[in-house]
Amino acid sequence: MSKVKNWHLQREIEYPYDESRPKKQWAIVFDLNKCIACQTCTLACKTTWTSGKGQEYMFWNNVETKPWGGYPLAWDLRILEKLGRQAWSEKGEYQGKTIIEAAPETERVLHWAPTDDDWMYPNVGEDDCGGGTQDGGGHIPNTPHDKWFFYLPRTCAHCTYPACLAACPRKAIYKREEDGIVLIDQSRCKGYGECVRACPYKKSMYNPYTRTSEKCIGCYPAVEQGVQPQCVVNCIGKIRVMGFINPPWKAREDNPVDYLVHKKQIALPYYPQLGLEPNIYYIPPVHADRAYLRQMFGPLVDGAIQRYKELPRDPVAHGLLCLIGSTDRIMHRFDVKRGIAAGFDEKGEEIVRVPVTEPVVERAAFDPKYNAIRNNTP
Amino acid sequence: MDRRRIVPFALGAVLLAACSNKKPPTTTEEKIEPLKELSAKKVSVDLATPDPGAAYWQDVPAGAATLAAQPMITPRPSISFTEKLIIQAIHDGTRVAFRLRWKDTEKSEAGHLGEYSDAAALQFPVKDGPPPLVMMGQKDGPVHIFHWRAQYQRDEEKGKPDMKDLYPNASVDMYPLEFKEAKALNANASETEKFSPGVAEGNPQSYVKKGVDEIIAEGFSTSSVQKGHGSAAKGEWKDGTWTLVVSRPLAIEGGSTLRPGAKGNVAFAVWQGGKGEVGSRKCVTMFWTPVSIL
Repeated sequence: MSKVKNWHLQREIEYPYDESRPKKQWAIVFDLNKCIACQTCTLACKTTWTSGKGQEYMFWNNVETKPWGGYPLAWDLRILEKLGRQAWSEKGEYQGKTIIEAAPETERVLHWAPTDDDWMYPNVGEDDCGGGTQDGGGHIPNTPHDKWFFYLPRTCAHCTYPACLAACPRKAIYKREEDGIVLIDQSRCKGYGECVRACPYKKSMYNPYTRTSEKCIGCYPAVEQGVQPQCVVNCIGKIRVMGFINPPWKAREDNPVDYLVHKKQIALPYYPQLGLEPNIYYIPPVHADRAYLRQMFGPLVDGAIQRYKELPRDPVAHGLLCLIGSTDRIMHRFDVKRGIAAGFDEKGEEIVRVPVTEPVVERAAFDPKYNAIRNNTP
Repeated sequence: MDRRRIVPFALGAVLLAACSNKKPPTTTEEKIEPLKELSAKKVSVDLATPDPGAAYWQDVPAGAATLAAQPMITPRPSISFTEKLIIQAIHDGTRVAFRLRWKDTEKSEAGHLGEYSDAAALQFPVKDGPPPLVMMGQKDGPVHIFHWRAQYQRDEEKGKPDMKDLYPNASVDMYPLEFKEAKALNANASETEKFSPGVAEGNPQSYVKKGVDEIIAEGFSTSSVQKGHGSAAKGEWKDGTWTLVVSRPLAIEGGSTLRPGAKGNVAFAVWQGGKGEVGSRKCVTMFWTPVSIL
């Protein structure tokens, strides 16, 4: 075992391979306050990548209703239960064990193994906490808490320390040096399913037709051309942005992802205590139960929510939020000047420009030129 | 095993158990001597078509190899699900056949998510001289593995299962470029295969299997499926026991070669799919067993 630095946990962790950070690290930031679970991301991914035989049940991107929904069934509760209660310091240093550190001596990763039954329900519990009854098609008779829920869109997190990669005895999984995307070599995989067992987020999936395991590929063919993944560019709520994240010691304030994660510290990794340094980051929902959010995002969640609430008074942050969803290109840099937010590609060329505040034009209700009544219907 | 020998032994065992109040042995296999060396005598039968139930096996001496949970690398089984493997060997001048028997309470052929296949493997050094590490060889010390899976045997017998075979009640609107409308421009196989990554990449795992895979390895994590050399296998599961015959050519260019009159080495592995065994989760013989082709 090697000792590697995990900045999510503010300490070194054990991992089977040495620390080897990619030149760039693929990352997505999701604003959970904006997701409406329309599943457009899910379908964009599905129609692009998983329409073939053996992929019928696969959702490399899915959106589930928290706290009760999960795909596969209760994926998070089951690994948390296995790991048991662990401790954080208030400042965010993790004092517990990761799923690799907690692995039995015969295993590489603490895990549970999903079967058909677990994958059968893409989102059982959907919206149940909104007041659905069993008579009305809901599944949960009574929740032991006040009614609150939020939607959690998920892709592969292209972890810095992937459990799938650690667990593969054939070394058929690799992390790309150029963008940090984690891929299963489809010519080498033998379908042992070790990655399916090991990934705590359950984002490796077995294809029973090809008899190999598959996973989210981060839309690398698009990323290689400077374009964001399908799930991001098709998000009608404009809740997510894909870019490249730096570790905190290399963070750049003008990098959109670094700005949200490091500078403003409003976006957090989910279940960081599992120890994989996952690279999808969430702006936590402001209204959901805090104890639950602390379990999911760690002890820094309260501060993140507080800072998020202050964003409207920050013109730079406001500008960046306007840029999100305004371009299908990958923004490597952004700036906000004189009420205009602009995004730039890797070469520094401007790819998008939006006003931070949309200009408002008041027009008379009647247009004499066309002899027509104007109204606000689109 | 000869039934005539089983009956008196079983009766004797029951009587003995009644007297001593000890649990009787359940099969005669427990009487088989531990395997120290395998001798493959020449027989005048065609071994190209393996037959685990053939009468000629009754006269072939058997030895019991001890297996243990693979101990070298993780993930590995926490207990040894298969502890004993009964082994026999014969040759016909061009092929050598090994008959393996082990207990497995359930037949597992895999197919669905989270299911694994029963399997067994025979391993031989590729080079002459002192054999390499018994655990899948080592760098510059390759091993030639014949890997049988119940799943691969089902392929050979019934063809590779389609999704409708695996999930007959599943409802699928359509697959890419496969339209229900007869007049539609349906794609050919090579075009539809592009939507199945393992198939499109030419991964042997994704193609129809012929019962047994031939693999070359130079240590853990290095195994790679090769073009076959005409090896064949047939397994039968009955009453909680697998009986498997793996037959391979004696001489294989670029692979393992066993020569009449000379000694080689062989090692074994067994997977119980129903117990979640797959890949490095297996039970293995911990030493090479010398094998003579007489």
